[in-house]
Order: sequence, then structure tokens, then C-alpha cells
Amino acid sequence: MTVTESLALILLLSGSAFYLAGTVGLLRFPDVYCRLHALAKADNTGLCLICAGLAILSRDWQVTALLALVWLVGLLASTVSAHLIARHAYMAGQNPISARKENECLD
Amino acid sequence: MLGLMLDAVVIISLVGLALQSLYAPSLFRSILHFVVFGLAMSLAWARLNTPDLALAEAAIGAGVTGALVLVAFRRLIAIQPDQDKPSTESRSRLALPIALGAGLLVAILGLATVNIETLPAAAGVAVLNNLSSTGLENPITAVLLSFRGIDTLLEITVLLAALLSAQAVTRPDALEKSIVTQNPDTPLIGGLLAIIIPLTVLVSIHLLKAGSESSGGAFQAGALLAAGGVILALTGRLSPSQQPSLRLNLGLLLGLLTFIVMGLLPLLNGQPLLALPEPWAIYLLESTMMISIALILLLLFTGSISLRHRRG
Repeated sequence: MTVTESLALILLLSGSAFYLAGTVGLLRFPDVYCRLHALAKADNTGLCLICAGLAILSRDWQVTALLALVWLVGLLASTVSAHLIARHAYMAGQNPISARKENECLD
Repeated sequence: MLGLMLDAVVIISLVGLALQSLYAPSLFRSILHFVVFGLAMSLAWARLNTPDLALAEAAIGAGVTGALVLVAFRRLIAIQPDQDKPSTESRSRLALPIALGAGLLVAILGLATVNIETLPAAAGVAVLNNLSSTGLENPITAVLLSFRGIDTLLEITVLLAALLSAQAVTRPDALEKSIVTQNPDTPLIGGLLAIIIPLTVLVSIHLLKAGSESSGGAFQAGALLAAGGVILALTGRLSPSQQPSLRLNLGLLLGLLTFIVMGLLPLLNGQPLLALPEPWAIYLLESTMMISIALILLLLFTGSISLRHRRG
């Protein structure tokens, strides 16, 4: 295995690890804001690492540019959709979990 | 080895997602599983080396159909709010035997096809041998437009008929409310649209052009364009309207009319019906069909007679 291949392997594996962490967060975190936080951040980093790994493997500027575009569009879509979901949840009256706990203590 | 593992993952998730979308406790979950099932299906087509079908499945099967089913669900719960509750009805006792019988039938058919030897005079070979006469490089586009043009003509007619039937049964009241629930006036939307919409148009034109030499074509491009329209409708930039618009109706008919005219023209020169002569004819046909398909799918989504533009 050459140096570039091992570098790509490390990038791909760490990207997958970020995806796994994001998914675990989505399943385990208590409220919608924490879940979005886990998903949007971890998945974008994972996508970036995986695109970087694939770009190294492809050894082609055209493919690299396309992968960068994939990452940017993914960033854009996940940012806006996470914002919209959080906004919708907030408008629907869902309080973040910590605020809810404080309120319960006050009660 | 790796390929086999990938195939196994795709097959297991396909069966799992299919079961989930049938047995999910609520209708909404069923819909979500169905959309993901469409994505897994497109992966399966990609694994079977059929990029055209994979593209079509991802754009139409998962994308546009998912949006259509979701908006239908939203209208359904507006009319019957109890539909979202977990269903308490027990399944018919016939369900399992019928499912097993259908599975067996598919398995037998599949096994039979796998064992068939390719006949030397089969249609696929004939297409590949005569590909050069069409001026196209992609045999799939050649089949769709040159060799079996009548099928494609009927497909776009069926799509138009589907739109007309949907318009005939859609209740015009509360259309707008069923698409946009809250006014999405956050500045992020404008930024998203400014990048996504030009990209969508660019990629659909690329898909259209790519159809002549590699994967792509009018249906995929049209579905992608319709997806851009769905985003515009969801963000309130395009709103459903009940005023018929001549321009829009012409756009809906454009593909079919061009196909009919181009199909009849060869008769003047004594050639057979639908004998598309040149690549330019095919490009014209594909472009007009893309516009019509996109408009039909978008109007199916909004459920309205026409669309109104609104400054965002």
C-alpha cells in the first residue's frame, strides 16, 4: 500500500467514524436541537473527510473539483435544513432540554 | 469480496426497508421508509451497472415520488386527522400467503430469466448493431427515442393523463396551506435558492445533453428540474393558483405536441411513422419533453391548475 493509499484510507475511516458518531447522536440525544447539532456538524465533517479521501484516490483534478462541489452543496443543504427544522421546532414551542430542566426546578 | 459485501448490504437494507414501510406503526413512518427504499433501490440499480435506471430511480422514485407522497399525506391528515394514528386494524389472513406466492412467482421468473441463453437475433443485439444509424452513442436513448419511440410517446401521454386526473379530483380549497405551513422568511432561504436553483438547471441540462452519449435523458432531467420547482413551491416563491394560464398549458403540451409533429413529419417523405431523422430532432424532442415532464411533475406536486410567481 502506497503512502497516498494509506492517507486516503485514514481519511475514509475517520470520515466513517464521524458519520457513526453523528448517527449515534441522532439516536441517543434527548431533544431536537441536540440531535441536529450532532447530525449537522458530525456529518459535514464526515462528508468532508470522505470526499478528501476519494479525491486523493482519484488522482484527477476534475473528480476532485466535483467532490468539492458535492461537499459544498451538502454543507449548504444541511445547514439550511437544520436551521429550518430547529426554527420550526422552536416556533412550535419546543424548549431546549436544559431550559426545560431549569423551568422544572423553578416549579 | 468487497463487491459481494456491498451487494449483501444493499439487498438486506432493501428487504428491511420494504418490510418497515409496510409494517411501520404510522403512515408517516411508512412514507419515510418508502423514500429511503427508493434510494436503496437506486443503489441496487447502480450495482447492477445500469446507471440510467439508477438516475431515474433516484430522481423520480425517491425524489419526486417522495415529495408527492408527502404532500398527499399532508392533505390527507388535513381531511382525516386520525390517519396519522397508529393503525389498530389487523391484517387480512390472506396477506401472508399472497406475499409468499408473489415472492415465489418473482423468484421463479428470475431464475428462468437467468438461465435463458441470449438469442443471436435478440432485440438488444439489433439495437447495438444499428446504433450508428441513429447518430446517438447511448443505446438506451436510441431505444427510447428511435427504435421504440412509440413507447416514449405513450409514456408522456400517460403522464399528462395522470396530471389531468389528479387535477380533476384535487380539492382546490386550502391548497396553499397544504404546501407551505409557515412563512419561511429567514434570509438563509434566499441564499440557498440563489445557489441551488441555478445548479439544478445546470445539472438537468447536463443530464439532457449527456443522454445522447452516456447516462441521462429527458425523464431524469425533467424530474430534477421538477425538484427545483418543488423547492421553489415549498419556500413560497411559486404558489399554486387556480387561474388557468395559457403559457403554462402550452408548456405542459409542448413535449407531446413536438413528439407528434416530429413523428408525423417523416410520413411526408415516405418514411415510416416516428422515424426520427437526425440528432437535432432528438435534441429538440428531448428538450421539449424535459420542460413538459418538469411542469407536469411540479403541477402534480402543487395540485393546482397553474402557478403564480411571488417575489421572495
